[in-house]
Amino acid sequence: MTAVPAASSPPASLAGGRSRDGIVTMVRYGLRTHRWALVGVAFLGFVSPYASGSTYLAAAGTAAARATFGRQTIALGPQLAYLIPLPLRPDTVAGYLWWKGLTWLTLVFAAWGLAAATGLIRNEEERGLLETWLASPLGRARLVLARVAAFTLAAAGAVVITGLGTAAGVASGKASIGFGSLVEQGLPLLGMTLVAFGVGLVAAQLATTRRGALGLGAAVLLAVYVLDAVARVNPGLDGVAAISPFHLTDLTTAVVPGGRFDGGATLALYVTAAVLIGLAVAALRERDLMAGLLRRRVTATPVVRLPSKNPLLRLPVLRNLWQQRLGLVGWVVGTMVGAALIVSLARGTGKLLASVSGFNRFVQAAGTNSAETAVVSSVWLSIAALIVAAYAINQTSHWAGDDAEGRLEMEIAQPVPRWAVVAERCATLIVGALLMAALGSLVTAAVAPGQGVHLDTGRLLVATGLLALLALTFGAVGALVIARLPRVAVPVLGVVAVASFYVPLLAPLFGWPSWALNLSLFHLYGTPLTTGVYWTGLWVMVAIVVVGFGGAMAAMRVREVGR
Amino acid sequence: MDVAIRTEGLTKDYGEGHGLFDLDLEVGVGEVFGYLGPNGAGKTTTIRLLMDMVRPTRGRAEIFGVDCHAHPVEVKRVVGYLPGEMPQWGGLRGRDVVAYVGGLRGGVDSARVSSLAERLDLDLGRRYREYSSGNKRKLGLVLALMHPSRLLALDEPTNGLDPLIQQEFYRLVEEAAAGGCTVFLSSHVLSEMERACQRVGILRQGRLVQVARLDELHHLRYHRLEADFGGEVPLELVRALPGVEDVAVEDHHLSCAVRGGFGPLLEVLGRGQVLNLVTHEPTLEEVFLAVFREEAEPAAAPAGKAR
Repeated sequence: MTAVPAASSPPASLAGGRSRDGIVTMVRYGLRTHRWALVGVAFLGFVSPYASGSTYLAAAGTAAARATFGRQTIALGPQLAYLIPLPLRPDTVAGYLWWKGLTWLTLVFAAWGLAAATGLIRNEEERGLLETWLASPLGRARLVLARVAAFTLAAAGAVVITGLGTAAGVASGKASIGFGSLVEQGLPLLGMTLVAFGVGLVAAQLATTRRGALGLGAAVLLAVYVLDAVARVNPGLDGVAAISPFHLTDLTTAVVPGGRFDGGATLALYVTAAVLIGLAVAALRERDLMAGLLRRRVTATPVVRLPSKNPLLRLPVLRNLWQQRLGLVGWVVGTMVGAALIVSLARGTGKLLASVSGFNRFVQAAGTNSAETAVVSSVWLSIAALIVAAYAINQTSHWAGDDAEGRLEMEIAQPVPRWAVVAERCATLIVGALLMAALGSLVTAAVAPGQGVHLDTGRLLVATGLLALLALTFGAVGALVIARLPRVAVPVLGVVAVASFYVPLLAPLFGWPSWALNLSLFHLYGTPLTTGVYWTGLWVMVAIVVVGFGGAMAAMRVREVGR
Repeated sequence: MDVAIRTEGLTKDYGEGHGLFDLDLEVGVGEVFGYLGPNGAGKTTTIRLLMDMVRPTRGRAEIFGVDCHAHPVEVKRVVGYLPGEMPQWGGLRGRDVVAYVGGLRGGVDSARVSSLAERLDLDLGRRYREYSSGNKRKLGLVLALMHPSRLLALDEPTNGLDPLIQQEFYRLVEEAAAGGCTVFLSSHVLSEMERACQRVGILRQGRLVQVARLDELHHLRYHRLEADFGGEVPLELVRALPGVEDVAVEDHHLSCAVRGGFGPLLEVLGRGQVLNLVTHEPTLEEVFLAVFREEAEPAAAPAGKAR
């Protein structure tokens, strides 16, 4: 007679080997979901320190030049302290590389961690994948831990590549760095990334949508980032800032000559990450699928049988903007805050630039004699160009989503010409980018006089319009790629943006011909506030827009649609 | 017959035997046409070709005499479409989706939407992501039926609907047909065809293997006969009869399939001691399975074994 196993003991196949197999499968799947982000972050992680290191000798080739450059950078540091830590030993290639090439990467890695965690829980939950995973004999805790392991592996890979970029950057500056220093610098970066991942995991248990989780997590990370930024310029707040993981990360400066590795701070990062992940696991075990941990009491609402009366939903372009209204508000407010912040630093930064002979070239390159105007023209508008480019990439991501999630099929099933779908996307992008650029410029115009900057209204308008054209240029590249390869459009645009950012930096360094600068979409934008329209750039952008959206319309006419 | 849908040699070759091949089909105006086939047979591909979502490798398709590929916008003006898989509308509420899709057509008839939502018992006030799969399907039906259409192209319309709502859907189809609307609905559910359609096309591995009125399809039917004998079963005599297939004997129990008349078989059975005799008509599903019998088993009888 065969013995019947007790009901309480799970079959050996579930408790043993198959469960381990499930974990391995989940880790593999997790690595697969992170692969594109890993490529992008690792690319930035390598290029940023490498470019900083390689440009150092061009800026300061001799010992005397390094000493001068170091003093000037130390003087400039406090002006940028709200964005990145104060410089340390900028008279050395490794010190400059840490300050310019590495510190800002903390934000990139944190953003990745947050996005990955909210995607892991909420996005997969919305797509029904989490339900499938949970139907397997894996268990909620093991599922999350398997995915944490996958992300840790991916993040560690990106940190290693950043270390390689750092070593290569230092070497290109004719200096050397020890392996131990690279490891010590990488440890807090990985820890910070895992903290952001933990914040995202916890946020995903509280909010009920990916967007909500992303917003909640971003708000938490922004708050601790601002705390760290404020503490940088107010040393009295150092004690309070210790609760900021960004602050704990900044405390390690192992790659800087004479820098240090703060073991306690690094350990605190990993402990924080572990606690957050533990909280998230506990919350996931407690909550219902498709619901947040904190559920609102269900209240009886009258049944609705009628369509929405919202007129915006019925009008081309406005219907898309209305659907994206929360995101658009975020983009616009971000642009306005950025404008207010950067332009409000114009006087102080300008004075510094004017007082330091080494920065005269920067002012002259901006095409003005006013250092304050140069700050607005070259610093703020460069950042604004990056913001509108990011907005265009975000729109491209929406278009790819329309395709993958069946909305494009539904749209084309209506009596709408296919070219009109592309035209409406183009118009939506123009309106959104113009709104961001116009309100950003309005803030610029309002803040600039207080900083002693007198802006030419006509040129400010032109600069604003050209920002929208720049966004459209990125959008055109995205539309063209989406017509053939919708899934890779966003990564391709990311590469175009990063390449566009670095080409102007690397071209003088490697003696590239002047036409090569026009390969950068940001270079095509020029410095319209101070030197007027860069006509070559304008026509190249117009050509890209015409070819991109024209090609996308033609491709949309012949391409097949459907999942 | 006025033709609503006409295809000539319509082919979409995805390679390796996948797709749709040489489809010649005519569907009359006002007809409710069922498009039947197992998963992967090419039903969705056919509808997507009609809707110009995918482009034919060769051949052509017309709706009300208008080429689907050359003039897709004109075609879509008169077609209400339900995709096989609903799009993801995320956080939009049902009422917003209706207004959005209605806006793409230039407007929406609120009274019609209200009536459909009422009959399908759909709350348009809830967010799309909160809908169950059945409610998502109901919203798809509202979107397909809310405009006056001359043709409804519905890809597996009752997927996920509960039986009561399915009945309401059939009534909607009957009303549409009574109003002169042509309905082309795909399904792999045979009872749906029996309930709603006048003619059925059966698709297999990308090829249309049969088009017939439902009553014609019934001619394909056969009867199963089972008999219990008190003594010896006249097995060899039964096997020798024309029209008698799938003969099996277990102890004193005989079962077989009979095409055509029963006379010769009853005469043979009468030579034995019949204790009990039962016949029953196979369901349409059995007919369907017979049509889809694997070519590897051509000699097997078209009967209940596969059930």
